[in-house]
Amino acid sequence: MADEARKKEIFEKLRNGVIQYDEDACREGAQEAVDAGLDANEAIFDGLVSGMEEVGRLFEAQEYFVPEILMCADALYAGLDILKPHCKQMDLGVRGSVVIGTVEGDVHDIGKNLVKMMFDVAGFHVYDLGRDVPLDKFVDEQLKTDSELVCLSAMMTTSMVGMPTVIEKIKAKNPDCMIMIGGAPTSKDLADKWGADGYAEDASNALKEAIKMVSFLKKLRDEKAAKQ
Amino acid sequence: MNADPLKQYLLAEGATLAGVGDVTRALSAEIIHLGRGIAIAVNRSLTRESVDLLVRLQALTEGWLKANGFRSLSIPPDSDRRNGKMITKLYKLFCHKTAATCAGLGWVGKNGLIINRQYGSKLSWATVLTDAPLDTDSPTSVSECGVCDLCVRHCPSGAVKGDLWSIDDPMKEIVSYEKCRALKGKITSLSGKPNCGFCITVCPYSRNLGRREKIA
Repeated sequence: MADEARKKEIFEKLRNGVIQYDEDACREGAQEAVDAGLDANEAIFDGLVSGMEEVGRLFEAQEYFVPEILMCADALYAGLDILKPHCKQMDLGVRGSVVIGTVEGDVHDIGKNLVKMMFDVAGFHVYDLGRDVPLDKFVDEQLKTDSELVCLSAMMTTSMVGMPTVIEKIKAKNPDCMIMIGGAPTSKDLADKWGADGYAEDASNALKEAIKMVSFLKKLRDEKAAKQ
Repeated sequence: MNADPLKQYLLAEGATLAGVGDVTRALSAEIIHLGRGIAIAVNRSLTRESVDLLVRLQALTEGWLKANGFRSLSIPPDSDRRNGKMITKLYKLFCHKTAATCAGLGWVGKNGLIINRQYGSKLSWATVLTDAPLDTDSPTSVSECGVCDLCVRHCPSGAVKGDLWSIDDPMKEIVSYEKCRALKGKITSLSGKPNCGFCITVCPYSRNLGRREKIA
């Protein structure tokens, strides 16, 4: 067992690497965590994700803008790529797979990619359909992969109108599937009206929602660990 | 804020040209806060080394700006787009030609490439966007190609249309990229070279450079 001080130092390196969007630091930190035999899940959540939480806060405080967020995300991925193969499967009862994509007619996928990242972090199996995805592709992919969650993203009002069609089709075939919509033109009202189960307004909110979700997982894990 | 120390620094580190332009009008919402474009050019043929040099100059610029308390976003050279990164999505929101023309380092020639009076179009470009309120150079607003149509006549794919560029109509398609790309694909598959480059070779501004160097 690596001693606590060393562990803290490595986690701090990962956290700061993400905040300072330093890919090399994240890569180094992740390798050190692996070499020191630290728990990879712990390194992801207490290092990388903890850094991303701070990034979300800096974004809200308008200290960071979209370019910084994306660079932080790249730094997080640099660390995640190394840690992921060493991850033990987390048993939190919510693990699953998700189909995600930007709907037909829309090529804006920054928000979608940020949400995807947080799903990756949380250990979900992500089926990323990319952008400008034909509506039926979502339905087919959900059926094929039997995913618990489908996330639809749009930035333009013109492409957003395709969302209710997808929701209706998926719900008709598979009522248990959860559907989340997101993007600038969407709203809580629209989500309710169309029968979607959740919504995130834009890239920053999507990130916040996704961080919340992962933070919630983290809490669950901590509680579970505390019981043992 | 005086930009000369930064420019001197970049030139000393190997940049051929460095300039600062006010690029606000060309920015989309995601990067609207980064109103200055620092255009950096290297006068070398496009090789791994020149791309590496550009990337290094960008890193130095970022460091300089950070040390002075400002944000930056590097738009890497077109041949080093670091595909697959999240930040890559933002690169296509900004074009090096905008920074170069706004910084007064050249105009967009009939061949669709930045032409600098001294170096022609044999330059490789990189841009660093920043929110530092650097003093700007005066932009180049009109083409200086004049009546010359060598690149129009020598283009093997007929892609060069012969239109003059102006800063007031930046979206005008001066070169048919479709035609150019089609030929580029053919040349690459036959010779392994990236493109034909006739429009660079025949340009009097680029050719003068060769002559000057020989005399020197």
